[in-house]
Amino acid sequence: MSVTETPKVASPERKWVGKSVRRVEDPKFLRGRGGYVGDFTLPGMLHVAVLRSPHAHARIVSIDVGQARSLRGVAAVLTGADAAQLCDPMPDFGPDPASHTWRCLAHEKVRYVGEGVAVVVAESRYVAEDAVELIDVEYEPLPVLVDPAEALVPGAPLVHEPLGSNVAYDRTFDFGEVERDFAEADLVVRDRLRWRRSGGQPLETVGSVADYDPASGMMTVHTNSVSFTSYLFMVAGTLKIPANKLDINPLPAGGSFGSKLFATKPTVIAGMCSKVTGRPVSYIEDRVDNISNCDHHGSDRLYDVELAVMRDGTLRGIKIDTIDDYGAYIQFGVGHHGNALAQVVGPYRIGSVQYRVRAVLTNKNQQGAYRGFGSEVNNWMLECVVDKAAREIGMDPVELRRKNFIQPDQFPYFIPTGNVYDSGDYDAVLDKALELGEYRHWRSEQQRLAAQGRHIGIGLITCQERSVFSATEFWFWFDEPGAPVTSMPESVTLKIDATGGVTATLYSCAFWGNSPETMVAQLAAEEFDVDPHDVTVAYQGTNQGLPATGPGGSRTTVMLAGAVKGASGKIKDKARQAAAHMLEISPDDLEWVGGGYQVKGLPDRRKSLAEIAVALHLFKHGFPDEVESGLEESKVYDHPYTTMPSDDRSDLGVFYPFMGHACHVAVVEVDVQTGQVTFPHYAAVHDCGTLVNPRSLAGHIVGGTAQGIGTALYEELVYDAEGQLVTSSFMDYLMPSAMEVPEIAIGHHETPSPYTSHGIKGGGEGGRMMAPAAINVAVNDALAPLGARITTLPMTPERILAAIDAANARPAG
Amino acid sequence: MKPPPFYYAAPATVSEALSLLSEHRESEPRVLAGGQSLVPLMNFRLAHPTHVIDLNKVTELSFLRSDDGRLTIGAMTRQAVLERSAEVRLGAPLLAEAAGMIAHEPIRHRGTVGGSIAHADPAAELPAVALAMDAELVAASGRGERVIPATEFFLGPFTTALEPDEVLTEVRLPAAPGTGYAFVEFSRTHGNFALVGVAALLELDGDRIGRAALALCGAGPCALRVTEAERLLAGASPDGDAIGEAAEVAAAGLTPSSDAHASGEFKLRLTRIYVQRALETALARAQDRR
Ligand SMILES: Cc1cc2nc3c(=O)[nH]c(=O)nc-3n(C[C@H](O)[C@H](O)[C@H](O)COP(=O)(O)OP(=O)(O)OC[C@H]3O[C@@H](n4cnc5c(N)ncnc54)[C@H](O)[C@@H]3O)c2cc1C
Repeated sequence: MSVTETPKVASPERKWVGKSVRRVEDPKFLRGRGGYVGDFTLPGMLHVAVLRSPHAHARIVSIDVGQARSLRGVAAVLTGADAAQLCDPMPDFGPDPASHTWRCLAHEKVRYVGEGVAVVVAESRYVAEDAVELIDVEYEPLPVLVDPAEALVPGAPLVHEPLGSNVAYDRTFDFGEVERDFAEADLVVRDRLRWRRSGGQPLETVGSVADYDPASGMMTVHTNSVSFTSYLFMVAGTLKIPANKLDINPLPAGGSFGSKLFATKPTVIAGMCSKVTGRPVSYIEDRVDNISNCDHHGSDRLYDVELAVMRDGTLRGIKIDTIDDYGAYIQFGVGHHGNALAQVVGPYRIGSVQYRVRAVLTNKNQQGAYRGFGSEVNNWMLECVVDKAAREIGMDPVELRRKNFIQPDQFPYFIPTGNVYDSGDYDAVLDKALELGEYRHWRSEQQRLAAQGRHIGIGLITCQERSVFSATEFWFWFDEPGAPVTSMPESVTLKIDATGGVTATLYSCAFWGNSPETMVAQLAAEEFDVDPHDVTVAYQGTNQGLPATGPGGSRTTVMLAGAVKGASGKIKDKARQAAAHMLEISPDDLEWVGGGYQVKGLPDRRKSLAEIAVALHLFKHGFPDEVESGLEESKVYDHPYTTMPSDDRSDLGVFYPFMGHACHVAVVEVDVQTGQVTFPHYAAVHDCGTLVNPRSLAGHIVGGTAQGIGTALYEELVYDAEGQLVTSSFMDYLMPSAMEVPEIAIGHHETPSPYTSHGIKGGGEGGRMMAPAAINVAVNDALAPLGARITTLPMTPERILAAIDAANARPAG
Repeated sequence: MKPPPFYYAAPATVSEALSLLSEHRESEPRVLAGGQSLVPLMNFRLAHPTHVIDLNKVTELSFLRSDDGRLTIGAMTRQAVLERSAEVRLGAPLLAEAAGMIAHEPIRHRGTVGGSIAHADPAAELPAVALAMDAELVAASGRGERVIPATEFFLGPFTTALEPDEVLTEVRLPAAPGTGYAFVEFSRTHGNFALVGVAALLELDGDRIGRAALALCGAGPCALRVTEAERLLAGASPDGDAIGEAAEVAAAGLTPSSDAHASGEFKLRLTRIYVQRALETALARAQDRR
């Protein structure tokens, strides 16, 4: 539920960009015709079930698959040892994959509860699961590592013996004059904060149908995960097939929130099984597979932070020391911390940053992507310590933030890490949030209700929302390899048919619950003056596809906008030449008006796009020789603004430049008897540059805020002392429903980016990047009169009561 | 998350169901009511019934009768019916209030009264209501019919006095006119099982509390009556002290178990708070009713 204020039309020349048009995706999904992977079937298709490890850490002594193999309807049973023969290790962007090798099934030892040990391929999923129960594995349990602090202790048991320790990465970066800023500070505010592991929970799990043709050697895959299209040669490598024999076709996904980003294990498992059986094979994770074995758990961090502050509220420098529990593997390296470094100082003029990250391996499922990709954790940490600073110097938390804002005339603004903030107007967003959040009203309610013994808290936070990553953030951690900047392309093909109809083809962006088709339709409609609902959007498999990356890091809309602009430009050039020829006039005398070209100043001498298109499709011989039939163009659009890091990594270059911003105001009431938190009010104001569709953006904000409420109060992937995942189904992994999510007052502000098509910035991860901070600050505000403060997420009732109890136990004074 | 193979039958009458149960008693037959607990257990392969005997076609078990304030509810009556029925709201408002707290609405449209009571989840609402209201539970088998008082029905977690060949056919509730009532519970999110729930009934006798009935769910191995607290309330003056003391006494001696959602210690704390809140509400309603 939300109340969305309709923004003023930013630019009167735009007809479709900026309008809340109905989403073009909706009719097919509302009619049940989306074609999800569970509905996808091929003749003779077999089904896979995975035997998951019941141990967190154990040596596999032996596996007996005899009984399982002889069950009627079973086509194949493959163990980790078989898989190690059939497949190479999984695609891995980690620090040193040779010493923390990740495979599609565990080989020789298991490293977390839920890790695949063997697979059964059978006529139905039912039979496959029956056979899984018949596999007999003998394990030799090994000591289990659950606590990252214990994993750091020398002599601790090793998750990966070849690595020689459990620390996959440890480095300290200094950006700017850190020691000077701390020496000159009036005071240093210290905080120790704990963000516990949660994860995106898509309604539909990851699934893949693979069909290997032994005659041609072609592996055709249909899956709900295809991002990083440009990197799929790595999957072909894992499957030991030539890259040009792998064709991955996107299916829509019932949600991702990051959790389907380059999710390749189901494809590798299905592909391997199809190769072995010679039949199409479907592997769709069930809920337990997904929660325990999806390779996409979220961040799991402990922070020690120091903030150098002046008495007048000026923030000078920050020292961040973080330990991140990555689980048993580290497929994306510490890219999550690149996301943090992109906006590490928030909207503030903090002049220097020290950042130490230690990536620790333990016996848990590994981290992947979850809405924010680690930057949301930094937002929360920063806002908690900034809020603490306001309390310590006795300054109004709103004024302290305002005082440190980067000012509109300072953009483009380079933060100490080297990344740039392209544009922004933080005061304007704050002012709007104070109004929508009814800030003054709630401050007085807080006082009034305090007299009745009720505990209201108000959390106002101001956070960044970086968008459009460049993959340098995955390798600038190392001195080697010194790769050139990475281009992270996205492509669109636009075709104008003989009647003037527009078809757009995408190369990476399966529907993930976002609105790629609506975005492309609106952007193309803007270029050609057609109704967005008349634009057809199609997806192309990867083998015949163009370079593409996919949704991630809030890049889709910006990158698609660049690609649409480029492809339309080419089409319009050709159409202009054709129209000029048809009208017997110089192309320079034509202008694009109302869906066609017309002679400047002579509105009745014109050719509509349909007239031009039919001529180009059917009557090419009426044109000069160099003109070819048809009207179809593609654009491969590369990252528009990214630069190299310096050799010594004291400057990481530009890698996440389009900087959205938001201010959330959470008003909470805490029942101090039970620790339960409710929301009397919630407001969110976002600035994602030029809006393409205010309503679909509002959907992102509401959904992201709901997930942020989950992160703040409910969601936690709990591993007990034996490394058992206690929360392996939705009975135990709690999520907020419509009943827990308050109505959200949403406001939009528009500060266009100077560097992108239409000035758009990404907005797909907003909400979750802000809500945990806002809610934590609000709860702390409610608990402040009791002398209590909470520093661990999620803030469960028991943790809140423990904080109150601890405050009560402290001697007063 | 697929069940292992099983045989399935869908009888149309209670007697057919009973004969199927006795026919397959050597293997592991189970009746299927709303399926909201049994089917997940089968999908997780935590329950392996060999024969599933579906009661959904046994229409004679789906009814709700009221005579002189006494309610009789057929085992296959859906939980959602309890919330909406005027008879229940009038005759057993405690039951109507508790029913609204079971799971989510769509689950209540499938889940049955008999299923909830026979399943005996320690955190389920209806067993606590049955205890507080002194319900009588009617069980049928090939050997005949017997009536089991609620106080003798719930034996432990997911364990009841029902024999494997018995079907719970109906729930009988005595009339309780003029009583203050309250069902309150703490759950982490709406629709989730309660960590702790409290059913309270309170009659006033002049200026004093007359009879009080108090039952808990979530606080022990199964739903339980807390008679010591009831005795303390009976005859007491309805001020804060008696209620506070009753809350202490109700929680004393309980050792709720820890689970993924809460420690036992926290549940104990909640028990005190929620007994207090239940009694306060029941008292206010009893006073209103006069
Ligand atoms: C998401 C979710 C949340 C839930 N939250 C709650 C909650 O908050 N509170 C709550 O109380 N419940 C909750 N439930 C459970 C739900 O209320 C079930 O409906 C109830 O526990 C069982 O009723 P049923 O009719 O579905 O029984 P079934 O699942 O069909 O059967 C359950 C068991 O009882 C036996 N049984 C059923 N009927 C009879 C009978 N007449 N005689 C003998 N044995 C019988 C079955 O053989 C089986 O062993 C929840 C369920 C879900 C899925």
